[in-house]
Amino acid sequence: MNILKEDAQLVGAILLDVGASLMSSGASTHRTRITLERMAKGLGYGIELLITQRALMLTIIEKDQQYLFSRLKRTSPHGVNFRVVSGISHLSWNVYEQDWTVAQITEELLRLKSLPHYPRLIILGMVGLAGAAFCRIFGGGYTEMTVAFIATVAGLFVRQEATKVRFNPYICVYFAAFTASMIAGLAEHFQIGADPEKAFATSVLFLVPGVPLINSVTDLMDGNIQNGIVRAMNGLMIAFSIAMGLYSAKMILNF
Amino acid sequence: MILLEILTKSFWAGIAAIGFAVLFNVPRRVILSIWTLGALGGLIKFSAIHFDIGIVFASFLASTAIGIVSIQMAHMRNSPPLVFSIPSVIPMVPGIFAYKMMLGLIALTNIENTDAYTQTLIQTVNNGAKTMFILISLGIGVAIPMLLTRKESIKKLKINKSKKAAV
Repeated sequence: MNILKEDAQLVGAILLDVGASLMSSGASTHRTRITLERMAKGLGYGIELLITQRALMLTIIEKDQQYLFSRLKRTSPHGVNFRVVSGISHLSWNVYEQDWTVAQITEELLRLKSLPHYPRLIILGMVGLAGAAFCRIFGGGYTEMTVAFIATVAGLFVRQEATKVRFNPYICVYFAAFTASMIAGLAEHFQIGADPEKAFATSVLFLVPGVPLINSVTDLMDGNIQNGIVRAMNGLMIAFSIAMGLYSAKMILNF
Repeated sequence: MILLEILTKSFWAGIAAIGFAVLFNVPRRVILSIWTLGALGGLIKFSAIHFDIGIVFASFLASTAIGIVSIQMAHMRNSPPLVFSIPSVIPMVPGIFAYKMMLGLIALTNIENTDAYTQTLIQTVNNGAKTMFILISLGIGVAIPMLLTRKESIKKLKINKSKKAAV
């Protein structure tokens, strides 16, 4: 093991911070583990990690155990952000190969966290296009695609607003699914387009919990069974919220 | 004519992938690659379905192709492979089957007629099984390159080998 270059407390705190950012940005458990181990190795420490969905536990091991560091950190559920995942991947290799100091890591992590999202209008427009694309894939025509576009944009808008005022995340999904399927359902009600139920079925697809479900399978494959099950359950809860939104809209429309 | 239909569907699959990519805030330099991957996945999946391969195996083939190409893309665009593979695979996530299963379960609570119950039960189980197996095949398909090469990081796949040769 290398000679200690940095204070163990600082190293532990920054490693936990990096790990929490990775977990909340949508990286799999295995990726979080190897990234943290790589960074620790670059800084000259060995670490042991316990990774769960909502908390990280880290113990630093160094030769003569002069410094003790063992701490828990909660990870906050932020929402997927691949810019952070990509940036931290670069960061970890820089630490490993170019001997970055803790000060440099802190600075880079702050920069990554403050990187801007896409402008809201672009997000709404692109996700709306994705909704229209789903409708086209399932065989809808241009009218249905327009309906799906409008329903998706409205649904996503409602979800963003509900998230802003801090509703429970599943309730946010429920509101979004309800709005989107209500709009598409109204179009079906008034017989807009040749095949209106196509728009109804695809209007909520933008809410599909793809990242939790795919990460769940990845985690299960890597042997992180516990995290895999937690993620799968989370995905199922989101699917259930979507179904409840659809069901409510259907009930109101069939009344 | 069928070829044209498959090509248009693949084009739109790519657009759907970009929609999710923007939602997940990917770096700007990888957007075009994600469109390519999404369209490639769509092309393989829809062609496979056209040749009467079941939707589960079709999704598996498509996600395997995405997994392999996303590693090449990761080298070219300098980002980890999951940034490419997850947004391009998500249009194939069986959302419709998942919520049809949920709606079926809800419907089962207030059916009393035996025939209708059996019919709904069959459909619900069918949708649930499709959801599960498509998800598993997507997850494994994306992971296949790493499983086969048995490396911890793609950096060790090509670049580092050439580096070692130089040193």
